[in-house]
Amino acid sequence: MRSARACLASLLGSGGMIVLLIVLTAAGTALVQPRFFNALNIINILRNAAILSVASMGQMLVMVAGGFDLSVGVIVALASVQTALLSGIIAGWMPDAPILALILATLLTMVTGALIGSVNGAFVSVFRLSPFMVTLAMSSVVMGVTFYVTKGIPIYGLPDAFMNGIGRGMIGRCPVVVVIAVAIVAAVIILQRATTLGRHIYAVGSSPHAARVSGVRVRPLLIGVYAVSGAAAAIAGILLTARIGSGQSTLGGTLALETIAASVVGGVSLLGGTGRAERVMLGALFLSLVANALNLLRIDSKYQTLVLGVVLIAAVCIESLSGVRRRHD
Amino acid sequence: MPIRLRSLPLAPLLTAIPAFVVLFGFGMVAPDVLTTGNLWNIATQTSYLAIFTLGQTIVLLTAGLDLSIGMAVSYTSVVAALALVNVAAPGLAILAYLAAGVGLGLVIGAVNGFFVAIVGINPFIVTLGTYNILFALSSTVTGGFPVSDFPPLTSQILVDASVLAIPIPIVISAIVMAVVGFLLRRTVFGRSLYLIGSNPSMATAAGIRVRLHTLGAYLLCSGLGTFGGLLLSARAGSGEPNIGGSLALQTVAAAVIGGARLRGGKGGVLSALLGAFFITVLSNGMNLARIDGYIQQLCIGAIIILALLAEQISQNAERSS
Repeated sequence: MRSARACLASLLGSGGMIVLLIVLTAAGTALVQPRFFNALNIINILRNAAILSVASMGQMLVMVAGGFDLSVGVIVALASVQTALLSGIIAGWMPDAPILALILATLLTMVTGALIGSVNGAFVSVFRLSPFMVTLAMSSVVMGVTFYVTKGIPIYGLPDAFMNGIGRGMIGRCPVVVVIAVAIVAAVIILQRATTLGRHIYAVGSSPHAARVSGVRVRPLLIGVYAVSGAAAAIAGILLTARIGSGQSTLGGTLALETIAASVVGGVSLLGGTGRAERVMLGALFLSLVANALNLLRIDSKYQTLVLGVVLIAAVCIESLSGVRRRHD
Repeated sequence: MPIRLRSLPLAPLLTAIPAFVVLFGFGMVAPDVLTTGNLWNIATQTSYLAIFTLGQTIVLLTAGLDLSIGMAVSYTSVVAALALVNVAAPGLAILAYLAAGVGLGLVIGAVNGFFVAIVGINPFIVTLGTYNILFALSSTVTGGFPVSDFPPLTSQILVDASVLAIPIPIVISAIVMAVVGFLLRRTVFGRSLYLIGSNPSMATAAGIRVRLHTLGAYLLCSGLGTFGGLLLSARAGSGEPNIGGSLALQTVAAAVIGGARLRGGKGGVLSALLGAFFITVLSNGMNLARIDGYIQQLCIGAIIILALLAEQISQNAERSS
């Protein structure tokens, strides 16, 4: 028993488990449905995984710092709507420079995401409210705004360059979306491994009190981490909008669940203090593979949420049973 | 020294004051609010929400949470409706309806409780997981379509009947409140839940079987929630796959406004009832004042944050006094 547990712990610890899961899922799907290895299908999976990875980076940082962010899904929807609306409005002001208008629109959208995140962070760190409840309530607020503005109707009229350049664009044989996601993940890896700020995030997640005593400014740090999560969700929303070509208020419905699941599958502890960007990216790849497998096997897309729920609970159970989880109380 | 509102015996009743302020406020904007018909309507809607909120309050007592309550209501609504329309004898069908719904609700509660209490996983994550599982099940079991054609006897018994001129939903809700109130205040099980929430290590030291009691809290929560959902479906006249959509937010909002705490150990029948009354008055008023549904959603979110802030501030005041 003990050796089985130790074995499981070492697998989880090294990240081997997630690689194994990815290989098994890919092999299993390819056996049943040979179209799996079709180049188009692989690119499709990579694009989905890329967008999920970007949003998951924010979720992971928040979880490492000991919190949760349930508002990532609604920020994706807001970002989609905001990019589409703003790029139209700004393009009206500067008809000669549509690309510049688009860049301004996406930057403003990212700022909005960061602002919503920092409000979450302020409630969590300054007023010490439950991160789960604050971000859940914030979701209700943001969703109310998004639907009130759009009445649920998609917003068209985005410049073609946006879709062709980013959403469907390729650099050589690699989708632009994937390049952007890899760059963001690389930046987060550097943040986590090579900067004081990154180590402080781990410290705050492991023990806020110890971190404070040793001179970490916990409040600004937490506000910043939630702001990054909001901005990451906004970027994911922009990338998703570039893929589908319109602003949609219904995007991101299960994204909070997906990013938490990607993080937990990637070895992030629910108690904070542990988690690595590269493994969370693998977690996102695994979830995208599973979704793709369900599609190829022609299983009703509604069952994907069921599978997500099961994967989340199973991953947390495995983490809990393998003893990787540490107790703080 | 600050006034310690929460230590006054009548403290929960203070929640009723903002509710009446909101009620008369909307009454001035929309004259329909203060008609006798609408006041009965508010009372009836409060009686449904109070049952859901009481379920949520019981898990909040143990410092837990049930995000899945709304989806449990949706799923059991559809499944119980299938039982109802497939049993021929109307009397028997209603029994099958209630038994199937509450039975399934208890199974859902057992699953939540197993992972939270026995395996020891964060209740937010467990119920977020079961929320999505139940969402998938309730939107696929009948392909997302409602199950209608309830026999007339269902609404005659569960909706339109009355006892001493009081509508039956209010009577049933009052009985539920009385029974659960007795359970919470006068039984070892109920008293234990308060101790588990406010001081888990003391509860263990006192010999309380914490895991078993916590499991019981989740069973009770889902049981109550699905029972309330069955009453609501009977009113709608169909099993609705999206009947419980926003119940998680509404019940947590109502419970916290009524005086329950996310950290556990506080709340009961009265807080659930008053919180439910507040949320009902607010949404009823906003509906009659023709406030956009999406703005209402925004308001619910803002109110939860305000209630959490108020909870935190009063707790700090308690600690410093």
